[in-house]
Amino acid sequence: MTEEREKTEKPYRKLETQAFLQQIAFRQGFEALEASENGRLTWVTSGFPVEIPIAMDVGVVYPEQAGAIIGAQKIGPEVCGYAEDLGYSQELCSYARASIGSTQRPDDVPMGSLPPPQALLACNNICGTVLRWYDAISEMTGAPVFLLDTPPVEGEQLPHHRAYVRNGLNELVGFLSSTFNTTLEDDKFRNVADLSSNAINLWTNSLEACKNKPSPLNCADRFLTMAPVVSSRGTEHCVEFYEMLFAEVEDRVKQNIGAVGDEKIRLLWDNIPPWFILRFFNQLAARGVSFPADTYTHAWSGAIEGVDVSSILDEMVGMYSNVYLNKGLNAKIDKMCQLIKDYDLDGFIMFSVRSCKRYSLGQMASKEIVTERTGVPGVIIEGDMVDSRLFNEAQIQTRVDALLEMFV
Amino acid sequence: MTFDEVIEQSKVELGEMVESGRLAIGIFYPHAPYELILAHGFIPTLLRTDSNIGGAYETSLQTFACSLIRNMYSQREMNQLPEVSGFIFPGNTCDSLQNLGDVWRVRFPEDNVFRLTYPVADTSEASIRFLAEELRLLSEKLSNELGQPFFDDEYSKAVDFMQSFREAAQTLYIVRLLVPDIITYSSLASLVRGFLSAPGDGALERVRTAAKQVVDESGFREDIERIRKGILTHQFQDIKLPPNLPRPRIAVLGGMTEPEAIAKIIEILPKTSDSVIVLDILSFGFKTVFTPPPDGSDPFSAMAQSILASPGEPTQEGLRNRVTYLKDLISNLNIHGLIVCEQSFCDPDEFETPSLEKAVSEMNLPIVRLPIDPELSDLSRLGVRIQSFLEQLESE
Repeated sequence: MTEEREKTEKPYRKLETQAFLQQIAFRQGFEALEASENGRLTWVTSGFPVEIPIAMDVGVVYPEQAGAIIGAQKIGPEVCGYAEDLGYSQELCSYARASIGSTQRPDDVPMGSLPPPQALLACNNICGTVLRWYDAISEMTGAPVFLLDTPPVEGEQLPHHRAYVRNGLNELVGFLSSTFNTTLEDDKFRNVADLSSNAINLWTNSLEACKNKPSPLNCADRFLTMAPVVSSRGTEHCVEFYEMLFAEVEDRVKQNIGAVGDEKIRLLWDNIPPWFILRFFNQLAARGVSFPADTYTHAWSGAIEGVDVSSILDEMVGMYSNVYLNKGLNAKIDKMCQLIKDYDLDGFIMFSVRSCKRYSLGQMASKEIVTERTGVPGVIIEGDMVDSRLFNEAQIQTRVDALLEMFV
Repeated sequence: MTFDEVIEQSKVELGEMVESGRLAIGIFYPHAPYELILAHGFIPTLLRTDSNIGGAYETSLQTFACSLIRNMYSQREMNQLPEVSGFIFPGNTCDSLQNLGDVWRVRFPEDNVFRLTYPVADTSEASIRFLAEELRLLSEKLSNELGQPFFDDEYSKAVDFMQSFREAAQTLYIVRLLVPDIITYSSLASLVRGFLSAPGDGALERVRTAAKQVVDESGFREDIERIRKGILTHQFQDIKLPPNLPRPRIAVLGGMTEPEAIAKIIEILPKTSDSVIVLDILSFGFKTVFTPPPDGSDPFSAMAQSILASPGEPTQEGLRNRVTYLKDLISNLNIHGLIVCEQSFCDPDEFETPSLEKAVSEMNLPIVRLPIDPELSDLSRLGVRIQSFLEQLESE
């Protein structure tokens, strides 16, 4: 009945599964608090091989996800401002500023500040900023930082590169063992790796279902439902969530129901979304624009098949080194072209995020190449993911309008 | 010679070396393997930002790209860079330089672009092995793509050549700690920068002559070795400076800020000598000069070890160690205040500065932050800030 009413009244159909996200968020929040009180909480970056701390019974939370929550609450400028008061430049990453700001004044950020960490786990496969950001948090909280250095990969990952990252993984296990008095056992690790692979597989299937016309998911759906695969992979409840999501997606495909009521134009989204204005996608939905694919939520892929600690760690070397943002401009261009082809897209929007140099610098060149290779037009809009002071809605609307006019 | 004259001379010398048939390789990051490049018979030239060229070309790099890479990119677009046969971009040091290399390859496909990826983790043995292999691969690429192989005897000569420069430049730094007005900061900066831009016999001779001269004039010949050892081994408590040194004594910090920029700001201040700056802790200056020489039978491991042992870079892991290092330097070198330069849109600089500010404030020392770009677009305002900072110091 609800679905039926939305189908007729709204240009954008909300996912039923989305309702469970809040439960997962509460659960994570409670578990993180408990872990912190028990002296076993780590803060981790989104590209970190989280299966390792989970298998070692160490709690994890994600400052980037907290940054997204701060952005979605539209308090980004205020919380980033707390970091700026400490001397951090407004030119720095707004995830980092939001994290530093909310750590400095947790009572002023009830939804978005994280429980005190006992260690900080950073992996620079998503950007170089995390190293410096976590150093700053370490200075504030006293928690030690473990950096898993995964230098950017050009082409094939070479043996010395693999050996270096593998050494880093060994050191990570040693660091967690000594910091939290724990061990990494074959069975537990295999079980967590299986759960992680299952969740990623279900997530990948949900993404690939968007090749259908109309697409069962829009951009905002994926940005919201990606949260568990970022923060809870390796757990049973994460798998359960994606089983529900995929079932709903399959059902939509069977019934030929799209996320956007009247899908006319199919676009690719590149980069992190502006969390404070996800309605941006819904407004475009009213004009028949859907986003069946994006480069951000396709970052998690692959299954872990190793049988013991050593073989799983070996696999993780490649898996966590070869992530989208760690592979250079050519790989980004190839990925965009492939998505445009596979999802039969009409054009693309590149969000030039002032906070994220790793993701954004190079977009001007790649835009031209992607259009040249695929024949579809694209537009670059500039703003930020958390700090709405850096987002000029009217200017962006004008640029998007110019792109959409090309499809009339 | 003025700074501009020295830089002009280094351009001429580089041009002459290229005209004589040698090939030059442009480098963006000061902690580069000079010995490796020289061992292949190339001239390494550390590319410099040009204050006369504005960072433009927004069709290739957004305005939030760091000002250093925008300036370099603009110079390339305007054909203002020296004539080089290839460029070595650093990988993994910061996202801006990492991505600049990618954009460069797309926009200038005719250029030979090489990448040297640095480890940032503080895991000494594994990091050395990784960088050694990166250097070996770079050497192979230089050989295969530019046709000049690595020669062991050239490497040995290069090690000696670079060490001669470092020792002479270290001497200049050390003597200035004792007698800051014996040679202006601007002269020191220009000698170091001139050498890094065109490391030839002429540039080396200028640094060595200046070093010899200041040692003779200073009367501190016996203290120099002790202080050098203290700095190189980080045993700062062994550095005992004489009492009653002229005040104030200022140190300048910052990642990729050109020493030239600091010298230019001081230059515009009335009645202020740059002898107030007793030390820079910049990548292009102190950190490069106090890098220990490669030492070991395998040249690649030796060079890796040398590069990774240069005094703390904000591009590397270990903020805590760098803060401790800074505090030790400040307290043992009788520094009275700090100028911290932040290159606009530079992540490493801008993340590190609040921690440095906090550490220095805890020592009850004044500090001033200078947001700076290669064009020195805000020169007069920067001058005013330094002026009031100096007045504050003098009143204390």
